[in-house]
This record gives sequence, structure tokens and C-alpha cells, in this order.
Amino acid sequence: MAAGLLAATPGTAFAQKTRAVQYARSLSSTAELVIAIFGSEVSSSLKELAGDFSKVYPGVTVKLVPYPAADWNGFFAKVLTQLAAGVQIDSVTVATEGVQLFASEGLALPLDSYVMKDKAALTNYFDDVHPVLVEAMMYQGSLFLLPTDFNAGNLYYDTSLFEKAGIERPADNWTQEDFVNIVKHWTNQKAVGWDWVVRLWGSWTSWMYANDANLLTEGRWPGGSWLWKNFYPSSMAHSDSGGWRWGAPTANDPAVVEALQFMFELQKQGIAPSPDVGGGTELQGLFASNKIATTIGGGFWAGGLHAAGMGPSSFDVQFFPAWKVQKHLFGTAGYAILKQSKNPDAAWEFLKYITSANSISLLVGAKAGNVSTPTRRSMLTAAAYADTGPKHWQVFYDTLDKFPNTAPIPASPYYEALDTAFIQRTTQALSGGNAKSALDGLQSDLEKLYK
Amino acid sequence: MVAQATAIQSHTVTSKSRGSLTRLHAKEARMGALLVVPTVCGIVVFTAGPIVASFALSLFRWNVINHPAFIGLQNYRALIHDSVVLHAFMTTALMAGLIVTLQIGLGLGLAIVVERRSKRLRKIYRAAFFFPLMTSAASISIVMTYMFDDHFGVVNYYLSLLHLPDVSWLGSTVGSVATIVLVVVWQQVGFTFILFVAALGNVPQELVEAAAVDGASGFQRFRTVILAMISPTILFAATVGVINSLQIFDQAYIMTSGGPGDATNTVVMQLYEAGFENLKFGYASAISVFLFIAVLALTALQFRLSRRWVYYSGMEGT
Repeated sequence: MAAGLLAATPGTAFAQKTRAVQYARSLSSTAELVIAIFGSEVSSSLKELAGDFSKVYPGVTVKLVPYPAADWNGFFAKVLTQLAAGVQIDSVTVATEGVQLFASEGLALPLDSYVMKDKAALTNYFDDVHPVLVEAMMYQGSLFLLPTDFNAGNLYYDTSLFEKAGIERPADNWTQEDFVNIVKHWTNQKAVGWDWVVRLWGSWTSWMYANDANLLTEGRWPGGSWLWKNFYPSSMAHSDSGGWRWGAPTANDPAVVEALQFMFELQKQGIAPSPDVGGGTELQGLFASNKIATTIGGGFWAGGLHAAGMGPSSFDVQFFPAWKVQKHLFGTAGYAILKQSKNPDAAWEFLKYITSANSISLLVGAKAGNVSTPTRRSMLTAAAYADTGPKHWQVFYDTLDKFPNTAPIPASPYYEALDTAFIQRTTQALSGGNAKSALDGLQSDLEKLYK
Repeated sequence: MVAQATAIQSHTVTSKSRGSLTRLHAKEARMGALLVVPTVCGIVVFTAGPIVASFALSLFRWNVINHPAFIGLQNYRALIHDSVVLHAFMTTALMAGLIVTLQIGLGLGLAIVVERRSKRLRKIYRAAFFFPLMTSAASISIVMTYMFDDHFGVVNYYLSLLHLPDVSWLGSTVGSVATIVLVVVWQQVGFTFILFVAALGNVPQELVEAAAVDGASGFQRFRTVILAMISPTILFAATVGVINSLQIFDQAYIMTSGGPGDATNTVVMQLYEAGFENLKFGYASAISVFLFIAVLALTALQFRLSRRWVYYSGMEGT
């Protein structure tokens, strides 16, 4: 009887395990969950996670299939091609870049009914995750992913280069002018003061956000009250948000042009080189070789720089400088259940399973080498970042807490075409030296897509 | 009567022989057809079938997620007004022209120079020039991207050692086109080189010697005798070169992603983007049909023009 009472009580671990066992019995005895992940190989920690899940749910085998790609665009293209070919995929890693694409095309299953059914089990998760991250995973009032990790565009700096130049850590509320005064120290030097890569997340777009501008008009879908009322009753900022609604293009807005022009100025002054196009692996390599004094990076840089051989005190992180405003961009990721899945219930159990602290640690956190920033606030601790650094790891989550204007990258349903146009027009501007002309072209490209 | 009987007998024998011969031919024909069936099936399933399917798909709107919807020639109408795709055709044509010209010129030049070397050296050079052809274009492109990188590329490093300024190989409009053309030519010149080595070996020496006896200089012997004799090979190299270079993709995709801007944006890149990034498979098929027609038209033009300058030995008096 005691066991029965315990099982009936929602929050206990015993209750969760009992429900899991009961549920596992109800699932097909040979259910196979196929999960598509972004990467060239399945990490050992992810394999461990899948193995743990299968122990809790003996009837379900998890098959992790890696899809290597240079960026999210390439990954989504591969996954979509596989789906077209009739390959069975139950769940797929999706980042901000693809949430609205998958949601608007009816590829991903809305999680609303699942979330409400397991409200008690998920309360702990939502209490630990900033609402802005959850909002980024919503579309037209429905939730499509439970975010597991995120990355805000903070500013990384090389502590040894700063020390040699006699520069102290910038203040939290430093400005673009302070930034220029600092990076000037590396004008026409072997190391450069500032470097970046051409991509939507964390390039000149961070300066665009700081200049209070965006490529697309920012808006919100209605709806979503079911989630806010039940899980974030005190969060007034998001109480009537059904997710981000990206409106008409504003790519050639004067503030956007000014942001891109600022990059040219840094180049002309010999502070920054001409950037490469790509995911940032080379950028990380150059930074780890002390060739770059400052650059944009997210929590994933902690693990990346550690893997590249940098010690925990060799680099540090600070909020992105203020220009007109101090506004950061971010991206977040999780797993979506595909509508074509033959095992949506099992896939939902997997999604829930991976939102635990231990699972997120294995996926992206300390146990995985800090390859991204956990969405669970409680997981960002000194112990978690002791091995990798940075020293001021608090910056990662404080970006969300201290700056309510932090917003996701403008990943609309036509993200793939937007990203291609963005890269093309940015490289056009870089080779021609004319930001206005290139951004007029980008505006025209986006207007055709927006229609 | 005897003659008649002999005639009848001979006619009967001839008829019988003819009948046996016909049966033998029929049997051989059947056997031949049977042996060719696997190849034909392969061509139908893997080549002809997809070509026909592509033509058909170009008449539909299909984003892979929903069912295809028939829209007739709408994709083609959109294509005619798509300045980006049309620009990609121009860029591809420019790169193809440069690539084919360089491949033929360089391939022929190398063949002439190498064939004058000793036998042992000839073998080494042939292997060396042919080797890049056996490597994948994607692998070469990845390596070349690093070699030609504006900041830490090995090419600019050696230029700096010679006190020459850095060149923006992949970051400028002209530089990126030139670099991709260079990389393609470097990899594929081995093909034209081998073709011309064989062609030069088949030039009758007595013709060359006769021209020499008649007082022709080295250049005149090359221009009037050797070039004429290898003209069919030049036609073949040009035809294959045009067909291949109009479909250039790997190098542009990996090294520059079609940039900077759209300086190296090729037709096949547009096709890939339309299909696999924008999920417009009908439109992508329309681009492929346009490309097919362009390649067909250019090949037909080349063969038509070849009647004026290609010499086939054995055609004298025809």
C-alpha cells in the first residue's frame, strides 16, 4: 500500500520510475527510436545517455544517427532529404535555426498535450529554465521543443594578450567606444584585436542587435497562455507570447548598415582581418593560438577552447558591449518529435528524459566537456566550469537574467534561404566595400522570401 | 538436265546455307541482346529514368513534405525572370570557357614538352600529371581552401617571403573566379594531357618529315600538320571539357560557397540550393532541364563548327 501511495505522488523519483516502468510495459516490446543528431559522430556521453534511457524503458531501443554538416543549414537539408526518401526518423535535434521551419511545414509535432499531461513531472524543469529560451521554441502558440542548451553571443577575450597590453577586464556595462579603445592596441599587429566569421549567429549581427536593429521586424504570435499560466505565472514579459513572429525585412535600415559598416572600419584601421565564411572552427583555432584578442562566442566556446588546448584562465568572457542598447542575440536547441514518427509516445518519453540535469550534463554540460550552455540555470556552477573555464561563467546565464531584451536570432520559417542570402550579401559587401548597396540587395532578397 | 539438276541442287544447297546462316545470325543476335540487357537496364534505371523523371518533376511544385502539385510551365516562367539563376549561367559559361581553353592549351603544351623527354622521365611525368585526376574534387577543394586562405594560407605565406603583397584569392570577385578555375584546371589537365600524348603518338612522322623537307618551320609543321592530325582529339577534349565544366559544383561550393556575393555562383549550385535548401524540387528540376538543353545546344554547335576545322584522316576525296 505504501508503495502504491508513493507511486501515486507525482514528484518522487520512485513515482517517476514506477510510471516509467508502467509506461515501458505499455509500449511496444520492440520499439526503436531513431534520433537524428547534428555531428560527424555519436559522442560517448550521448551513447551513455541512450543506454541509460533503454535501461529505464527496456522496450525501447534508441538508435542515434549522426548527420555531419558544416552548419545547421546543411544538417536540415540532409535530414529533410532523408525524410523525403522515406527514411524513418522519430526525433531530430533542432536549433533555433530550424524550429520555425519544422513547425511551419508541419514536420514537428506540437508538444502541448504531452506537456500538460506530464505537467507535474516537468514543473521542476520549467522552474529551472529561463522563459525566453522556452519562448524561442514556440510557434503560433504551441511548444515544439524542450530546450536543452543555448548560446548567447557574448564577448570572449584572450587574457594573456590583455595582460601583455596592460588592459583590465572590461566593465559589465562597457560600450562600443570602450571596445574600440581596447582593440586599437592590436592595430597592425601579429595578433588581431577583433575577428569574426560570416554567419547569422554571432557575427556583425551581434553589433546589429547592440545597435537596436534587426534583419526582420520583431513580433510575437498570440497564444501560448496555456504554458505561461501553468509554468511561468509570474513572468509578465511572456504572458501573451505564442513564440517569435518574424515580420517584414528591415535589412537596409540605417542602424543595420551602420553595424556592417563598423566592421569595415575595424578592417580599414588594421584592427580586424577580412573574415572567413563558416562555422567558426578556424576562428576557435586562431583564438586558441593567441592570434585574436577578442571575438564573439557562446558557452560552447568553453569546451571548444579547452579541447583546443587553452587553459581555464587563458581566456574569459564578458557581456557584449552596449551601443544604442546592450542587447544580445542567442540560439537554443533541443529535440523535436517528427509528425511521421511511428513512436511519438516513446519519443516524448525520451524528450522528457533528456531534460534532467544528468542528461543535459551528458548531452552538452560538464560531463560532455561544456560543448554548449545548459538551459537549466542550476547546472551553471563553478564546479561545472572548473576544468574548462571561463572564470566568469556566470555571464552565460546572467545575459538572460540581466538583459530582458535578449532575443533569438531572426530564424524565420524561410531560414535556409535567409541564411544563404545573408552570407552572399555579406561577402559581397566585404569584397566590394559597400555595405549599403549589399544590404539593399539583402532587403530585396528577403522581401521576395517574405512574400 | 544435269545442269538443271545441278542448278537446283546448288540452289537448294545455297538456300539451306542461307537458312542456316540466318538461324546462326538470329541466335547470335539473341545472345548479343541478352548480354546487353544488364547494361541497358542499368542505363534505363540510373540514367534515362532519372532524366525523364526530372523533366516530369519540372512541371510540378514539390517541397518534399507535401504532395507534388502540377503547375505546368510555371517553373520555367519563373526561371526566365530569375536574375540570380541567369547570372549563375553567365558565371558558369565564363568559368567553363576559361577552364576548357586552359585545359586544352596546357594539356597540349605539356604533352609536347613531355614527349621530348627520355622514356623514363616520360613515365614519371605522365603519372604525376594524371595523379590529381584520381583524387576526389571535394578533398582537393578542402585542401586548396586552406592553401589559398587570405590570412593563413600557404600561398600568401610564400608570396610574403618573396616580399610580394598578399592576394585575396578567395575574398575578391576576380580572385575567387581565377582560383577556382586554377584548381579545376590543375586537377583535370591530366585528362587532356593523356589524350594529347596518345594523339601526338599517332601523328604519322612521314607527314611531318615531308613538311620539313618542303621547308616548313617547326611552328608551321605544328600548325599545318600536327594540329590538323590531332584535331579530332581537340574536338573530343573540348566537347568533354565543356560538358564537365558547365556542371562545376564541388570546387565552388566548398571553396567559396558561391561567393564573394555571387561571383562564383554556378548553375549546379543554384540547382542544389533550390532543391535541397529551399525545398523547391520542381524548380530545381527546371534548372536542370535548362542546363541539359544548354549543354546539348553547345555540344551540337561544337560538332557543327567542327566540320570546318576538324580533319579526319581517310576522309580525302569525300
